[in-house]
Amino acid sequence: MLKTMNQKVSIGLVLFSIGYLYLSFNLKEYPYVPVDSDLVPKILGFLLLALSVFLFFDKSSEKEEEKAKRVVPKKEIIVMCGVGGMIFVYILLFELLGFLITTALFIISCSTFLGYRQWKTSILVSIIFPGVLYYVFNYLLQIRLPQGILPF
Amino acid sequence: MGGLDGLLQGFQVAFSIEGILFVFIGVFIGTFIGMMPGLGPISAIAIMIPITYGMEPTTALVMMAGVYYGAVFGGSTASILLNAPGISGTVATAFDGYPMAQRGEAGKALAIAAVSSFVGGTISVVLLMLFAPALAQVAVTFGPPEYFALMFMGLTAISSLSEGSTIKALISATLGFVFVTVGIDGQTGTPRFTFNNPNLLEGIDFLVIALGLFALAEVCFLIVNRKDTSLSDKANVGSTKLSKADLKEMSGPMSRQSFLGFVLGVLPGAGATIASFIGYITEKKIAKKPEEFGKGSIKGLSAPETANNAATSGAFVPLLSLGIPGSGTTAVMLGAFLVLGIQPGPLLVQDHPDIFWGIIASMYVGNIILLVLNLPLIPYISKLLKIPRPLLISLVIIFSLIGVYSVSFNIFHLYVLLFFGVIGYLMRLTSFPAAPFILAFILGGMMEQSLRQALTASNGSYMVFITEPISLALLLISVLSFAVPVIRGRLRTRQ
Repeated sequence: MLKTMNQKVSIGLVLFSIGYLYLSFNLKEYPYVPVDSDLVPKILGFLLLALSVFLFFDKSSEKEEEKAKRVVPKKEIIVMCGVGGMIFVYILLFELLGFLITTALFIISCSTFLGYRQWKTSILVSIIFPGVLYYVFNYLLQIRLPQGILPF
Repeated sequence: MGGLDGLLQGFQVAFSIEGILFVFIGVFIGTFIGMMPGLGPISAIAIMIPITYGMEPTTALVMMAGVYYGAVFGGSTASILLNAPGISGTVATAFDGYPMAQRGEAGKALAIAAVSSFVGGTISVVLLMLFAPALAQVAVTFGPPEYFALMFMGLTAISSLSEGSTIKALISATLGFVFVTVGIDGQTGTPRFTFNNPNLLEGIDFLVIALGLFALAEVCFLIVNRKDTSLSDKANVGSTKLSKADLKEMSGPMSRQSFLGFVLGVLPGAGATIASFIGYITEKKIAKKPEEFGKGSIKGLSAPETANNAATSGAFVPLLSLGIPGSGTTAVMLGAFLVLGIQPGPLLVQDHPDIFWGIIASMYVGNIILLVLNLPLIPYISKLLKIPRPLLISLVIIFSLIGVYSVSFNIFHLYVLLFFGVIGYLMRLTSFPAAPFILAFILGGMMEQSLRQALTASNGSYMVFITEPISLALLLISVLSFAVPVIRGRLRTRQ
């Protein structure tokens, strides 16, 4: 039944808009406000629902180049998920270990994971880049990046 | 303060040593980011926003103008050298720029692009200077219904004019609007769609969306193409000198396209892409030797470059005078303004003439720096393309993450950033344009506010949007912007 990618996407969007509408109808109401906070979400929910249904029945087929864009080798998807996982771990450790250590570890591990084997360069970059950024943010721009376990 | 005094003061800031230094830094970094395949002005501006925190607003804006121009020019450079336009606005540049580069005249092509950009940019800044304050005067009389109708028109325009499916563009815009409703409602204080998560009470910051949908989503493409070595092969560009004959040939397209590009840039949704294509097509039509187009014609390169730069300045007219961005890029620029505590709009020129004219002056200076300092440095900047992709990918990710952290100081928003990175990538894979999303996200809050203000004032009657003539006219234009292409499409299929 779901022949095209558009139809698959539109089903997802329909479900999303139904969920959004459900939440909109359950927003707390205020009796004395002429226009309450649920008005716009309800309009948007119905609009999204209608547009998703249109998309389902949209006859204009995808161009070949659009289809070609979607062909991503499985190996690359795994690599992307790997990088995503690394970002996730980076965020987890960001405040615990501090900006300098996590960033240095991230740069080395991410670039190695992506196939970069020039150790000297990647170690140098992983020290200089976070160091300069840390100095610029913390001391020049007065934006405190997490210090973590380091004393500075 | 009058316009001239204001402009002089603006120039004082922009031409100070500090000003020139920051414009230069901006242009340099912008060019570099813009050259990266996929990373365009939106990513460049979003990545640079955190750097401007704590800076004096005028200096920060001067730098951002530099980033903007630099990124646009960087995009052209990538089109010319690699035939890989990072953004749609520079696609037409590659038509004649790339063949010229293949002939071994890459330096000349870059110089033509730079000079044309300079002329287009400068003429349109003059026009901007003339039109923006006048439009602001008209806009002072606008009430909530007019503002709502205006923003509605902006959104429908960007959706109906964006590439690919209009339905997808509309869905993208609606989704952008949906995500802006997350957080405490400003008028009643009701928490909406927060799932009792205190981190969501303040809503989602626009930087999370901009960096997620653009920078992180592009990182995914960089990952897939990380082994592509074509970038490093093209680091040598040759001479960037232009002869008198070259300049003479460019003068026609430059003078015509500066005006045409500006007008198209002012219109919401049209912007640089359409301006550059129309520029290319009109020049080809009136050229004496149209057969040269597409084979490295000087006119064919000069026209889209002039037009897209004129359009970029044109897009500043609605942004500065109405406070309403007409494109994804100006939407992010508006975000940058707001971060600095500047609210563009009809009152900006009255209340903060120093800032208004400072921005305009910085655009002049940005253009000059681009030509005088940046062009000679292009051979060196293009050497930066030799940075190994794996390292570059890690650095872009880090920049995006700390960009978000330095606005929120909250780890939770970094996860949200990651989420929007995935969404952005999926949107690209399924051909949903991301620009309407970011524009709707930025306009959404303002649109909801003016809609509710208008309805409150009219006691809930929707007729207020129809009885006000300006609002009615704007809404009619929005409807027509959809109806005309649909009807034309139907007629064509019947034929």
